[in-house]
Amino acid sequence: MKRPRRSSDPWHAALALSYALLALLIAYPLVRLFAGSLTAEGGGFSLAHFRDFLALRYYRAALEHSLYVGVMVTLLATVIGVVLATAVTRWGVPGKALLRALVVIPLVSPPFIGAYSWILLLGRNGWITNLLDRFHAAGWIGTIYGPKGIILALTLNLYPFVFLMVCASLSSVDPNLEEAAANLGATPWRRFRTVTMPLLTPGILGGALLVFLHTVADFGSAMIIGEDYLVLPTLIYSLFINEMGGEPAMAATASAVLLACTTIVLLVERWYLARRSYVMSGLRREGEREVSRRLRALATILAYGIVGLSLIPSVVVIVTSFFPSSGPIMRPGFSLGNYAAVFQSVPRPMLNSVFLSLVSTILCVLLGVVIGYLLVRRQSRWTAGLDALLMVPFAIPGTVLAVALITAFGARPLLLTGTVAILIVSYVIRRMPYAVRGVAAILHHIEPATEEASVSLGASPWRTFRKITLPLMAPGIVSGAVMTWVQVISEISSTILLYYGQWATMSVVIYQQVMSDNFGSAAATSTLLLAGVFVPLLLFNVWQGGRAAELV
Amino acid sequence: MSVGLTIKGLRKRFGTHEALAGVDLEIRPGEFFTLVGPSGCGKTTLLRCVAGFCWPDAGEISCDGQRLDPLPPHKRNLGMVFQNYALFPHLSVRENVAYGLRARRMPTGAVGQRVEHALQQVRLAHRADGFPGVLSGGEQQRVATARALAIEPRLLLMDEPLSNLDAKLRVQMREEIRRVQRSLGITTLYVTHDQEEALALSDRIAVMDNGRLEQIGEPLQIYRYPATPFVAGFIGHTNFLTGEVVSVAGGQAQVRLEPPAESEEPSGECIITLPAGDLAPGRRVMIALRPERFSLASADTPNSLAGRIEEIMFLGAVTRLRVHTAPGAITVELHGDIGEGFKPGTEVHLTFDGQAATIFEQPRER
Repeated sequence: MKRPRRSSDPWHAALALSYALLALLIAYPLVRLFAGSLTAEGGGFSLAHFRDFLALRYYRAALEHSLYVGVMVTLLATVIGVVLATAVTRWGVPGKALLRALVVIPLVSPPFIGAYSWILLLGRNGWITNLLDRFHAAGWIGTIYGPKGIILALTLNLYPFVFLMVCASLSSVDPNLEEAAANLGATPWRRFRTVTMPLLTPGILGGALLVFLHTVADFGSAMIIGEDYLVLPTLIYSLFINEMGGEPAMAATASAVLLACTTIVLLVERWYLARRSYVMSGLRREGEREVSRRLRALATILAYGIVGLSLIPSVVVIVTSFFPSSGPIMRPGFSLGNYAAVFQSVPRPMLNSVFLSLVSTILCVLLGVVIGYLLVRRQSRWTAGLDALLMVPFAIPGTVLAVALITAFGARPLLLTGTVAILIVSYVIRRMPYAVRGVAAILHHIEPATEEASVSLGASPWRTFRKITLPLMAPGIVSGAVMTWVQVISEISSTILLYYGQWATMSVVIYQQVMSDNFGSAAATSTLLLAGVFVPLLLFNVWQGGRAAELV
Repeated sequence: MSVGLTIKGLRKRFGTHEALAGVDLEIRPGEFFTLVGPSGCGKTTLLRCVAGFCWPDAGEISCDGQRLDPLPPHKRNLGMVFQNYALFPHLSVRENVAYGLRARRMPTGAVGQRVEHALQQVRLAHRADGFPGVLSGGEQQRVATARALAIEPRLLLMDEPLSNLDAKLRVQMREEIRRVQRSLGITTLYVTHDQEEALALSDRIAVMDNGRLEQIGEPLQIYRYPATPFVAGFIGHTNFLTGEVVSVAGGQAQVRLEPPAESEEPSGECIITLPAGDLAPGRRVMIALRPERFSLASADTPNSLAGRIEEIMFLGAVTRLRVHTAPGAITVELHGDIGEGFKPGTEVHLTFDGQAATIFEQPRER
């Protein structure tokens, strides 16, 4: 809606404030981070840190490990995701809706809980290890610690990204297209190669990209199951929290390297997708093929097998939380002892997690609504820059953001380090772009004419926003809120660097419990954390009639 | 107590595109006034300027002596029906219709009565508690109309309100809109690209092209006496012939028709007689003739054109012929059955009444 230029338009002020906020909280810390990595010991510009980084085995190995794990997890998760998606949407695996709901569980479970759970099963004293030991077969699986464990935990954690995005792509491919190809004489393989595959590319690439970004940014599972196999986030952590006083400049350098990795991958994907156009004009959607009974049976076993495997960590954690335990030793049985211990020793972290998630969610939603509205309804050359700034957090791993925030806000007058505000800032920066996206997406579906109709009926712009725009955005706002909550409550990579004193969250406490071999309490705290993740999702699912899978 | 609308010197530019190039318009109280033109001609921009969604670069819009253009859209009190209806999906039909009244803080009792009345006017009282999503296209259209009428607006603005309906429903709703408009006597500004709809509905029509008004007039006047070749071509079917005035005598002009530019075949001399008007010898003219103005005749009839039938289309009440003649292809519409013996390839002679031709003088150079 065009309006006369009037300085009193409150949206102008909102635009200016949004810019100021994003510049201060995103651009400024990153600039400080890069400046820190490019400053020599005594001051002045220098590339020495980057030279050291590439020259010294200790640092370079972390980069290589990150890339190796990133590529392996991405490949495995992509293969699993594509096969599973094809099986579910095309080969008639029964229980499609159930499978789509189930894969959300590994996706939103924190990876460090997965890693911890695999240690319970396959670690030095794991259930399966001990079982195999009885038959002197433990050597078969080798050690789970190190890259193998990270890859296992993250692949089973992240393949749902590919699965869900390819499902979405597959169901938007008009079956008429493939029928048309068949009609023109293309063989099944040729049809897949020349028609289906190219149309699925955006979904596959999008999913693979998310997997890669999450893998190289992962701190929790690498810390828990990686042991002395350092990847970039764990390297940054150890450089920062060093008993010898830490090396902030090298931490900044490693952060810059990690950020470069994620940014390059993100840009390459954008560039690749921008060169292609996949506008689908078809009307028919989602066609199941006639497939042989044997293929269907095979696909069903495969699909439920994979999904079942990825549910193991959550199940193991919940079950073992009720086992009697002492230190790392847990015995089958039933006891609420772990919970008693947890409630006695750590009620504060639970309150912290709930409080921080709540505040961050509210802030994300508010900013999401304002900025999303600006981007869609007040589009101008000024909002384009805002849009670009909002892309940045997608590429920032939590560890990098934490280092950047500490660097930028570690001194007066902008002193935030060592306050609870810095935690909230880090959560809001990382999650707000998703909230903005959600709001923008739903606003694109609301025709401007709907708002114009309201105004033409005599409602003021503000009344229109309240009575028409906001209610229509409600589903998007609620789903954005649920997702923010879920992500924030299980966040560890930036929290572990930013929290102080009594502001430890549940995820930090779980990490500490696992590290001090207090497995019983870790299981109980993890179960409580999983409840904090799943209860809101479940409520949302009930409210929206089974649409939780669309959230992610 | 309907009011009129006056538009003076309205201009609007989007980048380099001139959407409105100085429009002057006077709509009379109680009139059903239609803006018609091809897409991109500026008719929707004009409507949106009146509604207040688009701010003109220059010009005035006033309603009943009061300037509208400085007012924000929600203070203009104009009812608007949108092309896609823009019903509020989260509100019931009743709440949709009540929306504008609530925005005016009308007491609840009065709102109920007014909503009831508005829904009765569009014969939709029985769907009051339904939601827009479950209504048919025609019902949605009627809700949109009721919602716009409920606020008792000064003017009713309609932006292609029937373009999302199928052909049969479109004709039905056309009559419905006309009935409601007549019974309320509300001044209505209607936008459409469908010239037939414009002719059927309107008291007066303005034909627009390239941001300008080409002609304003009653439907019959516009159809019979198009002011420009554009109007002649846009409203109804028209055959265009070009030629040069050879001589003028006794109120009659002799015009030599020319073959169309792309035609290769040599053609015989083809002279027709037209009312002279202010034509002078040597002037180049373009002649517009409606398909129904032609009839089949014998060779010796005045104003006869020899031709060969290329295509015959039987359309029920009329039969449409496409006839190839020396001055170009001509579409002819004949009433009823033309009888046996005519098929593609048949040689025929066409004739027309010179009085029925519309003559446009063309610039000398070409």
